[in-house]
Amino acid sequence: MSLLKKLVRPFFIVAPYVARSSQTVKYPDERLVFSERFRGRHRLDLDKCIHCGLCARICPCASIVLVPVEGREGKYPQIDYGTCSLCGLCVDACPRGALTMTDFVEFSAYKRSDLVYSPERLAEVPDIKEVLPMLKRRIRPVLTDKEMKYEVVERL
Amino acid sequence: MTEPEIKPEVMRISWGPQHPMSGQTRILIDVDGEIVRRIIADIGFTHRGIEKILENRTFIQGIVPIERMVMADTANIALGYVQAVEEALGIEVPERAKWIRSLICEMGRINSHLYAFGLQVECTGYFPAVFLWTTVDREVLLDLFEKLTGARWSYSFFIPGGVRADLPEGFRDEVKRAVKYLRRRFQDYWDAMVENPLFEMRNRGVGVLSREDAIRLGATGPVLRGSGVDMDVRRDEPYAAYGDLDFKVITEREGDCLARLKVRFHEIEQSLNIMEQIADEIPGGPVRTKVSLFPRSKPGVEALSRVETARGELGVHIFTDGGMKPYRVKINSPTLRNMYVFERLAELDRVLVADLPVILYSIDPWYLDCDR
Amino acid sequence: MDVVTLIWLYILGLVRWLLKEAPLQVINFVRSLPTLIPELIRWLWDFIWFNFKPLAQIIVIPGLAFILLFAMIVVWFERKFLARAMLRIGPYYCGKRSGWLQVIADFLKLFFKELVIPDDVEKALFLASPILLPTIPALAITLIPFDSNWVLFDAGGLSLPIFLAIAGLAPVVPIFAGWAANNKYTIIGSFRTAYLYVSGEIPLVICAAATALLAGSLDLVDIVEAQRPLWFAVPQFIGFLVFFVGLILEAERTPFDVPTAETELVIGWRTEFSGILFGFTMMAEYVVFLGWTLLFITLYLGGYLGPSLFGVPLYDHIFWMLLKLAVIVVIVVLIRTVYPRLRLDQTLRLGWNYLMPLALLNLFITIILKWGLMI
Repeated sequence: MSLLKKLVRPFFIVAPYVARSSQTVKYPDERLVFSERFRGRHRLDLDKCIHCGLCARICPCASIVLVPVEGREGKYPQIDYGTCSLCGLCVDACPRGALTMTDFVEFSAYKRSDLVYSPERLAEVPDIKEVLPMLKRRIRPVLTDKEMKYEVVERL
Repeated sequence: MTEPEIKPEVMRISWGPQHPMSGQTRILIDVDGEIVRRIIADIGFTHRGIEKILENRTFIQGIVPIERMVMADTANIALGYVQAVEEALGIEVPERAKWIRSLICEMGRINSHLYAFGLQVECTGYFPAVFLWTTVDREVLLDLFEKLTGARWSYSFFIPGGVRADLPEGFRDEVKRAVKYLRRRFQDYWDAMVENPLFEMRNRGVGVLSREDAIRLGATGPVLRGSGVDMDVRRDEPYAAYGDLDFKVITEREGDCLARLKVRFHEIEQSLNIMEQIADEIPGGPVRTKVSLFPRSKPGVEALSRVETARGELGVHIFTDGGMKPYRVKINSPTLRNMYVFERLAELDRVLVADLPVILYSIDPWYLDCDR
Repeated sequence: MDVVTLIWLYILGLVRWLLKEAPLQVINFVRSLPTLIPELIRWLWDFIWFNFKPLAQIIVIPGLAFILLFAMIVVWFERKFLARAMLRIGPYYCGKRSGWLQVIADFLKLFFKELVIPDDVEKALFLASPILLPTIPALAITLIPFDSNWVLFDAGGLSLPIFLAIAGLAPVVPIFAGWAANNKYTIIGSFRTAYLYVSGEIPLVICAAATALLAGSLDLVDIVEAQRPLWFAVPQFIGFLVFFVGLILEAERTPFDVPTAETELVIGWRTEFSGILFGFTMMAEYVVFLGWTLLFITLYLGGYLGPSLFGVPLYDHIFWMLLKLAVIVVIVVLIRTVYPRLRLDQTLRLGWNYLMPLALLNLFITIILKWGLMI
């Protein structure tokens, strides 16, 4: 291609992008819908846990400690999200499937001690609307031939 | 670090960690007008002692810290460690797991090369257009990772004995769709970026590394292949499923920044072909051999595994002593060797101050794996 | 009599005046107020009415308000346009999802930031340079005609050379600023500015001289009037292109923004400024750009003349000037989106090896055209 054509060609390639939809997720008005394997916050099923302690033994970050729960027998896992790396090895290790992972990632707290989630807190996962009251839409990326767009899955 | 003495006729500038374009390192340059006389790389800002950390984690727990060594290309590094552990403990890996590992490694390679483009293009003053397109296209790959493994970059997906989960439903079609989309985008990149005459002016003839110098100084990865040396661990010592896959090793002859960029470009093309082949021909079977969660090794075993990461060749060498944790893990990182080449470039070729970031990012350093 | 006695006498006299005569004066003044205030107001009104036009020119267009609004609008437009080309949104929350208040918010933020002045700078130059930076190009803008009778400064038939002379002062201030800041990076940045300006200014001056030659006068209004049959962009096509490239070079925009926005040397000569001083340097970039673009429009694109449809001239008004300005701004921002930055030696090579011979060629062609037309 001659020099002049090479100089002008980038204009024609870049200019159509101005008309495309932007790839920004306008959080917290919108939030992505994650896949079902997504590794977010844990959910503990207090009835299934058999207090074996395999999750605490396999955790590479030493975030899980077994603590007693009032009103129940035996010790249950307590997870410190200040050090948890969300790797999911504890979920793989649990022989009864008491630990699973949700798609909840809003961990912010004002004190570091608030990041240590007791077994009762692990057992109940709040609804996303309680943590993000300004949330309006749940979106999901969709890949067409030319671009990647976000389509609305659910309006709140 | 004790800095070498400054000669009186040069000005020493600390292209230091507080700089918009230096990354997490400090590079001292001795400048004489506009020409750089000497480059001294002062690395070590991000040393976290990963090798020592791995001595205190069991073999299965070790897959989590090793990924934090590199962020853009975690698959290949994790594969290096996992393969070394499997060799040390004598664990067999099923065929399907090997193919899935190759798929993830190639996706990681594309991810890393896209990030490298973005940086290389940003440092030529090209903030708009292509720089953020690469970030946007990485989103496509990161979404694929999320569907497969559950996380976007720190997947911890390889485990001694196989991979942690099988491909989900409909994943092969999604891989094919992503490949088609990315092929189209790369045509755009080629036209708007590589064929852009001003971009070529910045990159042609800059930072030339000849073939003999590349071999003598120990370059690796696209730096080596951009100077005309035909070496690639995937083809020379096939690991995972690369023995059954059909791909070309790209070399360019000139050895300047444009050649290295083109090598990365064509490698992405080859990776896309590999992804398509895997999506079509992956064999069935189990994805994991049953191995205890806390395997114990035999004493005195040494295992070495070499993989080809996006930046070059990486070696993981494990020594065991009969316990549940390795005795010593030594990691040989590609960026450290390429930084040595970068230091010597000031003597080999005429480097101007304005070319410094262009050359640095064409070597594609990732200081996290340089410092470990 | 000694000094103390004199002082006592003086104080006694003052007290007597205060008690006896001052109240009378105050009462007289208050009595005359009802007639004094209307007189003052009438004087003010006469002043404004008589000097309405220059006042409007100074304050509104092409003066203060126009320049500030231009800088704000171009900054907003550039941020939004670049964002869309990068598949982002740009400023979003400030100002009802279009982000037009973001520029004002940024300006206020810069205004209220702390001025960090290092110990070993030349204080006078350090504080004076950012203030001089936008004012010198603004002086040049006062010479541009926005309509056939709307010129702020009537230079007696010499507005083109005065414009170029004032524009020649513009590169001196960044050199002062870089030197005053006493920093390795800023010195290198200001040297680069000096190189760039010199290599860019000469082709521009030669091209401007060629247009003056074609028009037969050195006055900007005459040059615009001489473009009534045909805009000078057509017979002087080479000069048109050279001036356009030189304009981007002089305004230090990408692809030629080597001195500032450096990825190698932080931000060149602007490094040590903070707060409102930095805001002035940012604004100065856009004021310089505005000045040269206005000159470009005046010399090559017909200034305030409307386009002629089939030989019938349309009504010429300031509006045409603003429209042409908008088109040029869009093209320059588009160029920024698409091209990377050239190195300093490549830019200088462009200026000296390519732009200057082309400008001289343009001058020769103009001489031949003019000679041919006269004969």
